[in-house]
Amino acid sequence: MNGDLLTIAPLITVIVGALAVIVSDAITPARRLPPIGIALAALGVTAALLLSRAGETSVALSGAYVAGPFVVYLGLLGVAISAITLLVAPAFLAARKLPTAEFAATLLFALAGAILVGAAGDLITLFIGLELMVIPGYLLAGYAKRDPLSTEGAIKYFLLGSFSSAILLFGLVILWGSVGTASLDGIAFALAAAPEGAASPALAVALALITTGVAFKIAAVPFHYWTPDAYQGSPTPITGYLSVGPKVGAFALMIKLFLVALLPMASAWVPIIAILAAATMTLGNLVALTQGNVKRMLAYSSIAHTGYLMVGIVAAGSGEASGVSAILFYAAAYAFMNLGAFAVLSAVGVSVGASSQLDALAGLGRRHPFLALLATVFLLSLTGIPPTAGFFAKTAIILAAVQAGGIATLLAIVAVLNAAIAAFYYLRVVVYLFMREPVEGQPEPVSAPLLRLGLLLATLGTIALGLAPTPLLEAVATAIGG
Amino acid sequence: MITGFPLLSAIIFLPLLGAIGIGLLPSSRPALIRLGALAVSLVTFSLSLAMLLGIRGVGGEFAFTEKVDWIPTFGITYHLGVDGLSGALVVLTTLLSWICILASFGPIKTRVKEYFISFLILETGMLGVFLSLDLFLFYIFWEIVLVPMYLIIGIWGGADRIYATIKFVLYTLVGSLLMLVAMLATAFAHQAATGSWQGAFDLLTLRGSAFDPGLQLFAFAAFALAFAIKVPMFPFHTWLPDAHVQAPTAGSVILAGVLLKLGGYGFIRFAIPLFPEGAHAFAPLMIALSVIAIIYGAIVAIVQTDLKKLIAYSSVSHMGFVTLGIFSFNQQGVDGAILQMLNHGLITSGLFLLVGIGYERTHDREIAKMGGWASRTPVYAALFGFFLFASVGLPGLSGFAGEFLVLLGAFLANPMVAGASTLVMILAAVYLLWMYQRIFTGPLSSFLSGLGSHLTDVTPTEILTLAPLAAMIVAFGILPSILTSSFAASVATFLAAAGPTLP
Repeated sequence: MNGDLLTIAPLITVIVGALAVIVSDAITPARRLPPIGIALAALGVTAALLLSRAGETSVALSGAYVAGPFVVYLGLLGVAISAITLLVAPAFLAARKLPTAEFAATLLFALAGAILVGAAGDLITLFIGLELMVIPGYLLAGYAKRDPLSTEGAIKYFLLGSFSSAILLFGLVILWGSVGTASLDGIAFALAAAPEGAASPALAVALALITTGVAFKIAAVPFHYWTPDAYQGSPTPITGYLSVGPKVGAFALMIKLFLVALLPMASAWVPIIAILAAATMTLGNLVALTQGNVKRMLAYSSIAHTGYLMVGIVAAGSGEASGVSAILFYAAAYAFMNLGAFAVLSAVGVSVGASSQLDALAGLGRRHPFLALLATVFLLSLTGIPPTAGFFAKTAIILAAVQAGGIATLLAIVAVLNAAIAAFYYLRVVVYLFMREPVEGQPEPVSAPLLRLGLLLATLGTIALGLAPTPLLEAVATAIGG
Repeated sequence: MITGFPLLSAIIFLPLLGAIGIGLLPSSRPALIRLGALAVSLVTFSLSLAMLLGIRGVGGEFAFTEKVDWIPTFGITYHLGVDGLSGALVVLTTLLSWICILASFGPIKTRVKEYFISFLILETGMLGVFLSLDLFLFYIFWEIVLVPMYLIIGIWGGADRIYATIKFVLYTLVGSLLMLVAMLATAFAHQAATGSWQGAFDLLTLRGSAFDPGLQLFAFAAFALAFAIKVPMFPFHTWLPDAHVQAPTAGSVILAGVLLKLGGYGFIRFAIPLFPEGAHAFAPLMIALSVIAIIYGAIVAIVQTDLKKLIAYSSVSHMGFVTLGIFSFNQQGVDGAILQMLNHGLITSGLFLLVGIGYERTHDREIAKMGGWASRTPVYAALFGFFLFASVGLPGLSGFAGEFLVLLGAFLANPMVAGASTLVMILAAVYLLWMYQRIFTGPLSSFLSGLGSHLTDVTPTEILTLAPLAAMIVAFGILPSILTSSFAASVATFLAAAGPTLP
């Protein structure tokens, strides 16, 4: 039992940290810095605990929790995402008189969910982790509770989210029932042992339900309708988090389900995921082209990025293990560049009532050259222009797809053509930044020290992963080795 | 592995360092920023001349090579090297860079600091493209070039600059992204064949490995699309007139002088030696498109009413000679193609500089509004006439040698093609001389006389930007062998890799 406690120590730390944030708020109410400090400290301890056992794999709680390189990678990425969000959000929340402590605690609970997804060894833990990760997301989406847009987005997110969880759960249960075990490895073993062509109708139903549920969670077309409203309505730093944290977690779930448990059935699901990937990339980009609201545009662009990530799933399903490492690399690159883009938007729109239309960014290059420069770096990275993280991430995905051959190579070509479409709307933002005159009456960006630190971290990540991707490439190789 | 002073890295990254240095200067000191940018570009130019002296007589080998592991997981290296071909293009780039920076002193009055930062980053990107021997590194520099050019056209360009700059970027991106897929497929084919990522992106390793014919066709098509858009070949040329018309003068000069050459260079250095079978399969198509570009560009140039657009279409026609020469796959054709690239870089750059000088005075480029200009500014008219005759291909000036060699090479490969293309040399005389006649001769037009004392002749600074180009046009016109001998070894290597000549 002691060994078990040691194994799940990172998870415990995160939850204790969340509780400590709540307690501290009860002791010193309405102070903004202590909750952030406690939450960051908890993240630091979590990262240290994860790193301290980086090299080993151990199983706890009768196989429900598997601590290994995969969860170390995912946990550290989650810590980075949470930390940047914690740094960026306070100024924005303070300007709107929204509480900080509840925000920090909710964010930590979501991280606990993400770690649980990464560590899950069976279907039950996987589902619990998923819910623990997404329910805080619903809360965060409706965080500006007096703002009707935020409430509307949160209700849509909650209803469709619960609906898709139910579908997914139904699929998981049927899978469990027809295979006879809930263990992910056990399912893979049983499916691989079954003779070819013995797939039962129950398994087909399970696969259909699981695919639908997962597609909702990652916001793949045609199950993406909740994203634009949820993203546009939420307070900007929270939108940044929602577009990254739950997405990375959902892809961890997808890796566990499709690339571990259901891998023996790959020939059945690879064509479906491939079609969904092509539709997701193309539709996300085409609709993003027509958006005049930056947050909504980034919402659709995040749908397109889901599509690129799914190319990695297809490559891995076609037998190319580097597809998984490409997804993990892409997830990290996407986290830094998208959080960075939203951090810039948060800085620009920090004052109450600031618009998130493209016009709000007009002439930013003249008013705040440095902020505009950072925005350009993030946008170029999202476009996939070297030498940035986004470029190398796309390269890794394409390389995996080319290695997998067949349908995956076709998807790679669809992906690069999509990247050219995406360039249009990302660069249109650069046009507003540098090539348009400022619109009168725009509120001034506020620069808070924490926000600056968050921007700095996102920038460092975006540039470092582009110039020197080798350490992270080695890290993702370790993560899938275990 | 780097032995001795990393000269090529110094040449590539000096402008970038200069850009960072200029970033630290206060925006309130434009004069200091201008001089700083000029100084950086002049030092880079001097270094490139030193490099040129160092590569004399090294034969077909690459000189000054630097090789360091960069992303060992995929065998990606930081591998630089220079030979006669890339050496000449590097010097063309560093020369045009300082000329452009000097030529921008007057016209660029807003956001001076950002302008020169963009320009120096652009120079780093262009030099990196010419000096990379690793495909991945090449691709990165290739894409880096896009960003500053996007900003230069989009911020300091004309009225329709945003449409033009986005068109330029999207065209280029579509081509280059498919090239990236082909590049990765090639690297993977190498990995699959040898069992290791070692050298999977290295030009020298990949050159000569006989890839599977299917891959060769796909990869050549993807590379060729990227390069054909850049050259630009018909029918991928439509971004060029827009970009040229909207770009500020220096942007047009660099676009015509260097950026279009990236395409031709890409064919000679990468696409054809890596995928010779693919290249031969596509050669008839490429030759047909080249001939169409030569004729079409010339005919469309005749009817243009905007001076910059006319020169832009003449570029399409002139660059057609480059691709025609390359795909003749013989010594004369390839020699001619490279000469044509260098000469077009000198001559068209000069013409764009002259158009810019005229625009500074008239703020108009409408040919119909001009007339009799020579009576007011004789030196300007004479300089314009000189570059114009060079562009027409007057023997004795450098434009002639390149086109002549290309036609000779094309004649050896296919007499019909050469015959059709030769007619165009007459068309070139028609559109250029007619343009000259309308602008400079006859009675002074009311538009020009209305400008009064604003219509001044060229200043000494402007002459300083044109003089080096004019001197080289004369020198290479009389002795083209200075150039051809400098890249003879590169051409021999290329022809050996490209395989047998066309049947």
